[in-house]
Amino acid sequence: MKKLTNIGASDVLFNFNIYSMDEMKNLNEKDYHISFFQPTTKLAKFNRNLSITLLTVWAVCIFGFQIFLKVIEEPTPEMAYVEYQGVWNQLKSGQASDLEKQVFIKSALSVLGKVTLKPEDRVYLNAAVSHFTFELAGESQKALLGNKIEILRSAEFGKSDYPNQKADLGSLSAKLINVEPYSLEAKLLPIELAAASSSTLNTEMVEMVMAKYLIHNQSFLTDYVFLGFPFHYFYTGVFLLILFVGICLYYCIATDKAMFRLGITEE
Amino acid sequence: MKKILLAISILLPGYIFANASTTLEGGFKLGPALILLSILILFVVVGIVFRAKDTNDFFAAGRKISKVGSGMAIASNWMSAASFLGMAALMYGSGYHGLAYVIGWTGGYVLLLVLMAGQIRKYGKYTAADFIGDRFYSKTLRISGAIVAILISIAYCVGQFGGIGLLFKWILGIDYAVAVMVGGAVVLSYTLISGMLGVTKNMQIQYIIIIISFLIPLFILSFKYDYFWLLPQIGYGSIVTDIVTGIPAPEMVNMVNSFGHDFAITPSPEYAMPWDPSSGQTFFQFMAITFSLMVGTAGLPHVIQRFYVVPKVRDARWSVVWGLFFICILYWSAPVYSALGTILSANPEVGKLSKDAIVVYTAQLGNINPLIVGLLAAGGVSAAFSTVSGLLVAGASAFSHDLYVKVINPSCSPKRQLAMARWATVLMAIIVTLIALMKLALIGQLVAVAFSLAGCTIFPLFLLGIWWSGSNRKGATWGLIVGGMVSLIAITYFVAGKFNLILPAHEFMNYWLGAWYFAWIGAPLAILTNIIVSKFTEETPVEIRKFLVENVHS
Repeated sequence: MKKLTNIGASDVLFNFNIYSMDEMKNLNEKDYHISFFQPTTKLAKFNRNLSITLLTVWAVCIFGFQIFLKVIEEPTPEMAYVEYQGVWNQLKSGQASDLEKQVFIKSALSVLGKVTLKPEDRVYLNAAVSHFTFELAGESQKALLGNKIEILRSAEFGKSDYPNQKADLGSLSAKLINVEPYSLEAKLLPIELAAASSSTLNTEMVEMVMAKYLIHNQSFLTDYVFLGFPFHYFYTGVFLLILFVGICLYYCIATDKAMFRLGITEE
Repeated sequence: MKKILLAISILLPGYIFANASTTLEGGFKLGPALILLSILILFVVVGIVFRAKDTNDFFAAGRKISKVGSGMAIASNWMSAASFLGMAALMYGSGYHGLAYVIGWTGGYVLLLVLMAGQIRKYGKYTAADFIGDRFYSKTLRISGAIVAILISIAYCVGQFGGIGLLFKWILGIDYAVAVMVGGAVVLSYTLISGMLGVTKNMQIQYIIIIISFLIPLFILSFKYDYFWLLPQIGYGSIVTDIVTGIPAPEMVNMVNSFGHDFAITPSPEYAMPWDPSSGQTFFQFMAITFSLMVGTAGLPHVIQRFYVVPKVRDARWSVVWGLFFICILYWSAPVYSALGTILSANPEVGKLSKDAIVVYTAQLGNINPLIVGLLAAGGVSAAFSTVSGLLVAGASAFSHDLYVKVINPSCSPKRQLAMARWATVLMAIIVTLIALMKLALIGQLVAVAFSLAGCTIFPLFLLGIWWSGSNRKGATWGLIVGGMVSLIAITYFVAGKFNLILPAHEFMNYWLGAWYFAWIGAPLAILTNIIVSKFTEETPVEIRKFLVENVHS
């Protein structure tokens, strides 16, 4: 067992028993006080000033930037939302043209293609897309469309016939919504039609989901691209970490220099 | 010896050749299993070679660790399953909001360095509770500090055991419960054999394994998908912008993931935009999480304890710089997995993926060699192991050193003390395993609770204990009570919610006093209470003030 050399004050003086205040006062030969804001030595003053400076930089760069980001942000809709808003009232009233239905389906697919879309929100858009796709199909095509959807539903990804069944439904649905067969909408639509559990339109929930996923808090800081990043993302995800290391490095170098200058050595 | 072990740890996986299935879940994967096994054997061997010989070795590694070595140990100790797996998971799930965890878990080190590291080393105590009991001249506070330290360690450990279980399940294809028990038994065995000396050596090797295993797939994926692969940590900016602007289908002809899904994506600005409505997270929550994680970082017992193992005060300061730099290498890299994972899993046919495993899934979806994916998973296990070992030592120290020796049996022999430390380690591991098997919450949730708890309780005591001699026993006691009460209320609401119990003002409390960020109010309240009570009660004993002046701030 090595002898422990680092012993605290109370190890020596109290042996973990609490002395009375009278006994304390008898030992009080000199007034000892430590306060971060009221340093009594040159080193302590240096340390206070350095710490306050660095922590101010640290706080402003972290929290100040985010507050600034919050202050200047504007709710900014995606183009898909603008297009959807242009046709939505007509769709709700049941007087929309085929072109307006196609615009809505494309807008809805731009949400359905998002990775962040929650399953509970997907349900409403699936249903809406299914609803309007069937409306676009003429009476003669409805049965064919329904049949192809059922075939794809029963198919399994990875099986040899799956791509053909998906392409089959894709080519039909792509024509209905008037998109190129190689477009992203054409790839997404068969998947969404097969995933739809109903074709019942819930207008309130569609409005909520579309606004939730297509309106974002943006500003010049989010729109400006720096090293491929949206600037604010680079600042928070990359630059701040560099700053933290830099602050720590500067603190250590400055402290070492101050100690050398003051002739102080540490154990 | 150290260099030989280091070389083995890096080169051994390269000599292992075996087939592995390329499935996201399920079956036994021989290659990754062999890599994992070889790494675990290496840990145990290193633990035996550098085993503890006495209590000084067990608790503080004999104060023989260099500043760079200590920095690596700090990084390894810090980079848990929550960092290795959870960081990417958070950004994969909530985009920019996940960066609150990145800056929270790194920015806290600035607080730790500027306000504490050197002074903690100067004070010369082994454990957080040791400092608290001594500085505030109170057995009650020592016991309270030890209990809080144990609770923090347990909460943190449960999350790590969950991560270990997840990865063992993935690699070995075994049941989650068995995976947790097997992983727990292994990490317990080498912690027991080696104590902190062996653990510190292990941590240095673990850091190298963690970083290599984390970075190799990034370079491969970035190169494969034509992004700036020389420095993926910068190159992933283009990936983020691709997600924001979308990737049209015609550009993606024949560009598919390992399962044949193409990954053309619709424009998704919500991935990068701040506190986006689709994430369900607000500006307040972003700020509260950032602040809570920062003060929590500066109050974690197993992090604070790292400063006792360096020879000099200057080394304590510099070890933070090195530690933070080593940590940042991983934290700069984690978002790359998130961004790549978002693109590779964009096709709705991929289905919903487990967020906590997105790092491994991204490598799989990118069709990387299964052995490299296995190395990545083994790196994740290393990350969890390195943290667990540090936590077990911190918890065992709190029990044996702060409770048993200082309170229960002050006259016990060093041999008896070491035995108690080992029994405490075993007991903690059993408790943690049992809680982990219950699957009470996600890994990240449990870890964040531990941070907020540390921020409300230990951080204020260290901050005021070091920097204000006026902070006395009564102030510390009431500060701890207030911080503890805030923690208790927040955790009660959180647990009640888990069991579907609706308490009064449930939604209000869960939002403003969320389980992973309640320190935003708890820490300032605890500090304020400590100051006010100290101002109106008797002065701190002169011996304590004298010690602070002459030993800590001289």
